[in-house]
Amino acid sequence: MKSKVLGLLGLGAALALTACGGGSKDASQQSTGAAADSALKGTTLNLYTWDGMFPQEVLDGFTEKTGVKVNYSNFDLDETMLAKLEETKGGDYDIVVADDYIIQLAIKEGLVKELDKSKISTYDNINPLFQSKFYDPENKYTMPYGAGIPLIVYNPETVKVDIQGYNDLWNPELAGNVGIIGNYRVIDGITLKSLGYSFNTNDLTQIQEAGDKLKTLAPNIRLINDNNLQDYLLSGEVGAAFMYTSQVTQAIKANPDLKVVYPKEGLGFGVMGSFIPSNAPNAEAAYKFLEYINEPEVAAKCFEYIGYFVTNKAAESYVSDDWKDLIVFPEDKISLIESGELIENISDEANELHNKLWEEFRQKTN
Amino acid sequence: MKNKKLNKYLLRIPIYIFTILFVILPLAYMVIISFLTKAKTWGFDFTFTLENYKKVFDPFYLNIFLESVKLALASTVLVTLIGYPFGYFMGRLSERWKRRMMMLLMIPFWTSGLIRLNGWIIIFRSNGVLDKLLMFSGITKTPLKLLYTYPAVLVGMVYFLLPFMILSVYSSVEKMDWSLIEASRDLGASRLESFLTITLRLTMPGLLSGVVLTFVPSMGLFYISDILGGNKIVLIGSVIVEQLTKLRNIPFAAALSVILMLLTIVFLRLYKKVSGTGELEGLF
Repeated sequence: MKSKVLGLLGLGAALALTACGGGSKDASQQSTGAAADSALKGTTLNLYTWDGMFPQEVLDGFTEKTGVKVNYSNFDLDETMLAKLEETKGGDYDIVVADDYIIQLAIKEGLVKELDKSKISTYDNINPLFQSKFYDPENKYTMPYGAGIPLIVYNPETVKVDIQGYNDLWNPELAGNVGIIGNYRVIDGITLKSLGYSFNTNDLTQIQEAGDKLKTLAPNIRLINDNNLQDYLLSGEVGAAFMYTSQVTQAIKANPDLKVVYPKEGLGFGVMGSFIPSNAPNAEAAYKFLEYINEPEVAAKCFEYIGYFVTNKAAESYVSDDWKDLIVFPEDKISLIESGELIENISDEANELHNKLWEEFRQKTN
Repeated sequence: MKNKKLNKYLLRIPIYIFTILFVILPLAYMVIISFLTKAKTWGFDFTFTLENYKKVFDPFYLNIFLESVKLALASTVLVTLIGYPFGYFMGRLSERWKRRMMMLLMIPFWTSGLIRLNGWIIIFRSNGVLDKLLMFSGITKTPLKLLYTYPAVLVGMVYFLLPFMILSVYSSVEKMDWSLIEASRDLGASRLESFLTITLRLTMPGLLSGVVLTFVPSMGLFYISDILGGNKIVLIGSVIVEQLTKLRNIPFAAALSVILMLLTIVFLRLYKKVSGTGELEGLF
């Protein structure tokens, strides 16, 4: 989610979109009334999210079922999406999929439409475990579309430490052998967690304390990389890595002998949510789309494609066996999700201190 | 007569338009933003403030500036030590070999710089090409950790910037009047003496424009340190990017960029003063 490895692919897709994106405007002749199915035929759904968030098969399936053409546009950063929505006053796009923290801002700015759940017959398939979170506490605006849970992965052949949680990363035996992602809220966050504090604390003394502890991790850090950390774990450049879900799945797919650790101190995670912008030109089609991607078989295909944790309860049994262990959250670990925290927006002062401590830590690692 | 004068002005118009549109306006935009306040969610509010500049002078950020200048200077010195002799000897080759060397220098530019940097990873990584070679020849016994270190970043910087130095030295060596050297040797100067008093002096503009072309970009080349340094060396460029993307503090990022630019200008003035040359091979 925060890091899409697909920069180059994205460029290609963007070119493809400009080449065939002429049809986006005819969506404005929107349909009203209940007889949506026939009225929607021939209209366009403007989908706005990162590159590579829906398999082509699913998009084609939607067009086949409803006659609605999907016009997929993408952004690199959540912030770009928000700026675009502000510019169009919540118009132009019918469905947006983005990260939780940015959705909170979009809702605050009135750019998100309240969902009429009666129009989404598959709504109840959602796993409530991933609902009612800070960005949409009453589930009025969004539906989750995959969860990202950064985890520790290590190679038991080269790492002799039995890693159970974040604190084990500080073990001197891991000197120069650990790789981490470059997201300071997450890394500072797990340090806070390892001290028993919250990921989202605004208490500057707690943050400072965590920053001081983080500096003592420096001798163990081999590299910081946000984009393709799994490659370094697979090539043996590092023995243990703390990384994003999509990277964890890729690593395990390539080498099933690697061990995944759900840190015992508690998880910090993020949920991607889908929503309809407040002035969506084709909201009816958007409801159809939400309904469609929440069908269990369709959802299972989507989650296998993006490699994030399944947020659709009904879809779990449709996930194929090769993916089950990777993206269906294990039953016995559910308490970790319940005790886990989402990474929320915090005060500017706290955020700035985080960033500063992070840069100081990076200087120490060299 | 009059027409000629008018033509002269007309011909200048495109370059003025270009400069205003693509150089002056963006710079002015950046300077203006650097005095504004960060908006709550995204962008900036039009409220004047000096806060951003006050923050730049926090010892924490000054230290990062210092680190960036240190790396830039180290790279520039290394590039000069390797690039000057290279450019000098290249300028003395026969026409045929000059063309061939020029071709060889240019070929790497046909590939994206990022891809070339990833090539260095293959060389430097544990059990990589260099490591295997060292172990095979018995110099080392166990795999080394060469990647993600300061020296690896320096190698990357030098590799990236070397062609600029070579080309500017080469162009001034090529223009040199070699009869001056012959004359000085006839008058009893040693090889070293005539090099120091004639060749070095005459190629100084080339050398200095090479220094400028190396130093200025190296202040901003943070992605080399990200790729070959494993994000472990904090340079001002990456701090600016982080401020822009993750902290969404565009005004502060603008202020940092303004200071970076001022710093670069100061260094350029300094080079000019130290060298005592009025011209930097077409740069000033």
